[in-house]
Amino acid sequence: MSSRATSEPAERSAEPEAHPWLILVRYGEIALKGGNRAFFEKTLARNIKSACASISDLRVEIRRGRILVWPKRRPERVARRLQDVMGIHNVSLAQGISHDPEEIASAGLAAVRDALEELPKEGATFRVKTKRGYKGYPMTSTELDRFVADRILPQVGGGLKVQMKGADLALGIEVREKSAFVYTKRLPGPGGLPVGTLGHVLCLLSGGIDSPVAAWMAMKRGCRVSFVSFHSAPYLGESSKKKVADLVRVLANYQPTSQLYIVPFAESQEAIRDHAPEPYRTVLYRRMMQRIATRIAKRAGCGALVTGESLGQVASQTLENMSCIEDASGLPVLRPLVAMDKQEAVDIARRIGTFDTSIKPEPDCCTVFQPSKPIIHGSIEDCEAAEACFDVDSLAEEAVKGTERRKIGALDT
Amino acid sequence: MESVHFDHAASTPVDERVLEAMQRWWQENYANPSSRHAAGVAAAEALDEARRRVAWATGAQPDRVIFTSGATEANNVAVFGHARARKQHGRHVLVGPLEHPSTKMPALALKEEGFEVEELKLDSSGALDIEDAEARVRPDTVLVTNMLANNEYGCIFPIRELTRRVRKAAPHAAVHVDSVQALGKIEVDIETLGVDSIAISAHKINGPKGAGALVRANDAAMQPLTLGGGQESGLRAGTQDVPAICGLGLAAKLAESEREESVAHMTELTVLLKSEINGRGLGCLIEPGAPAQALLPNILSFIVDGPPAEVFLHHLDARGVMASAGSACQSNKRSMNPALFAIGLEEDEARRLLRLSIGKKSTREEVLRGVEVLEEVRSELARHV
Repeated sequence: MSSRATSEPAERSAEPEAHPWLILVRYGEIALKGGNRAFFEKTLARNIKSACASISDLRVEIRRGRILVWPKRRPERVARRLQDVMGIHNVSLAQGISHDPEEIASAGLAAVRDALEELPKEGATFRVKTKRGYKGYPMTSTELDRFVADRILPQVGGGLKVQMKGADLALGIEVREKSAFVYTKRLPGPGGLPVGTLGHVLCLLSGGIDSPVAAWMAMKRGCRVSFVSFHSAPYLGESSKKKVADLVRVLANYQPTSQLYIVPFAESQEAIRDHAPEPYRTVLYRRMMQRIATRIAKRAGCGALVTGESLGQVASQTLENMSCIEDASGLPVLRPLVAMDKQEAVDIARRIGTFDTSIKPEPDCCTVFQPSKPIIHGSIEDCEAAEACFDVDSLAEEAVKGTERRKIGALDT
Repeated sequence: MESVHFDHAASTPVDERVLEAMQRWWQENYANPSSRHAAGVAAAEALDEARRRVAWATGAQPDRVIFTSGATEANNVAVFGHARARKQHGRHVLVGPLEHPSTKMPALALKEEGFEVEELKLDSSGALDIEDAEARVRPDTVLVTNMLANNEYGCIFPIRELTRRVRKAAPHAAVHVDSVQALGKIEVDIETLGVDSIAISAHKINGPKGAGALVRANDAAMQPLTLGGGQESGLRAGTQDVPAICGLGLAAKLAESEREESVAHMTELTVLLKSEINGRGLGCLIEPGAPAQALLPNILSFIVDGPPAEVFLHHLDARGVMASAGSACQSNKRSMNPALFAIGLEEDEARRLLRLSIGKKSTREEVLRGVEVLEEVRSELARHV
């Protein structure tokens, strides 16, 4: 628009070291994965970029067991966002500075003052720990530790005591070839493995509390998760689909975009209602779901199904009923919640942000034609006998054909 | 002659993309977002999308975004809502020195309910006196409200530092920040600021009038001002204005995602405008707290030579240049804005304070044309003095 030459110097060639803020990403487990390490690290780096894409462009560098991230903008927001990226153990927002020890000390002092706001006033312990990646630096790590500590301690009041092991507050300094950086805080990440390193699974999502937690746990173990949900239109309305989509959107905070398959399920339910003994309805619905989910999973390239089942939690989740249900699946069924108490699942649901959506009062397909007295200890033979009265395969195939597919991202704009 | 819009701090034109996003919600789908049919669910999904966009722009969680009719309502809900919900912890309220009437008036109204309301001060340079603020915070302080960036002079207040000091001394205090002028010009991130709530407005960021939001950092108890169908987490009953809210959502997203480019552009124009005002001797720039306290890239105020700014304003208007003398909401009021005196202006100077504010679509040509007109008006009015 303007033809006037700006007096600003042209942007210097890529010199990320000089950027004032960077984020140090630490990961635990993936560093152990021997020959696959490069694959795990690259996947994590890619996931980091994709998680932050809507916030800022990033420069990401993989460095010997850690990843360094330079955000172009909103560094604090980026650091918070990284706390949801699977595989990350913790992150530190660090300030980039020059090699000058005085500058390192004064940036360190500011960081320490900042961190002290959140610590008890008296008796807090403190240490400085320098990591010298650049071996040409004229001071040794211990010398720089001392130099910086000597400048900080007199400035922050008498309460702070030096303690080398287990200090309440550790000022980290890293000296690199062209710059240095300092940090104090470690923001915890979820841990686990980067999504996408352990394959692709399909999670059966009901809209309740458990299945979103199960999906999150599968993601935490490195699985990319797609979702399938069963919908009883016209017995239920659009709002029950919205609830499931809302859950997938919350879970999309933890992996790059997600696929949601919404399966028309009323016809299968009507067939079961009309032909099967009433107590068996719920088990048969679930066998049908396994069958349909298996077909979708195989077409989508998923290697397993994931459910939120927990042993003994409801009538359909006895050992016998679980066997009946799994019998209809053509894929391994992962049940991350199998030995969990309800409260444990609730706690995770709250932490990952799905709880408030899960408890919204919205019926799901299982509440349609619910049996008054469901079978507790079902047998596979009885299930098969009941299913002989209607065309299981063609119902499943029709349901797959009528499936609606939605792609859902966290921000989705 | 084409008009010159030097009054973007009062309102901005609706962005074409925003207008487009609003269109379908007037007639094509006019459903009530609380309805259970598919059209209603689609409207509810549109609200959710707007909520996510506002949350993204302000660093909040989507379910903490409460849509309102504008920032005035958001500020009212915040001031009354926070203070009343916390009154078992105390009744002391602190109000910023340059607050917009939509936070100041409700705060003063709290006096009727037995609250003690004190104003924060500016220091001699015109910056927020942070030491004085800290000294005023007490264990029974339940609300501190201070705008993020001022609408008259564009000064940016050190909210993060203020919040930090409030937290030390007042464990039950809520901190509310009117961010109307700041959004799209500086980073507005509720967690980074460390505050409890912020207010934003659509029509200051190239969105429609009639939509704003109160964005909260947590779900601490608040008392609603309107009761009814429980919309907006029970904090703002009433059927939501779906088209306006969709406009707000996209406007907020664009304001934040295009911030760097528009700030660079507006800064260049403001620098040009300032140098023309100085170079042509059109008046004396007023920059409270500068350079220690930063300024927005799009607002400048200066004391004109000659008659009151109001006279200037009308002469400029007659030549197609929109400007403002004091806050637009009050330009036609006889009572003068106390913000003018808070920075230490004499009454005569305060009457001659003219505000120019540019927008992301302003052009260099527009700025230069506006400056020419300013000079013409100055010369013409000099003859009448």
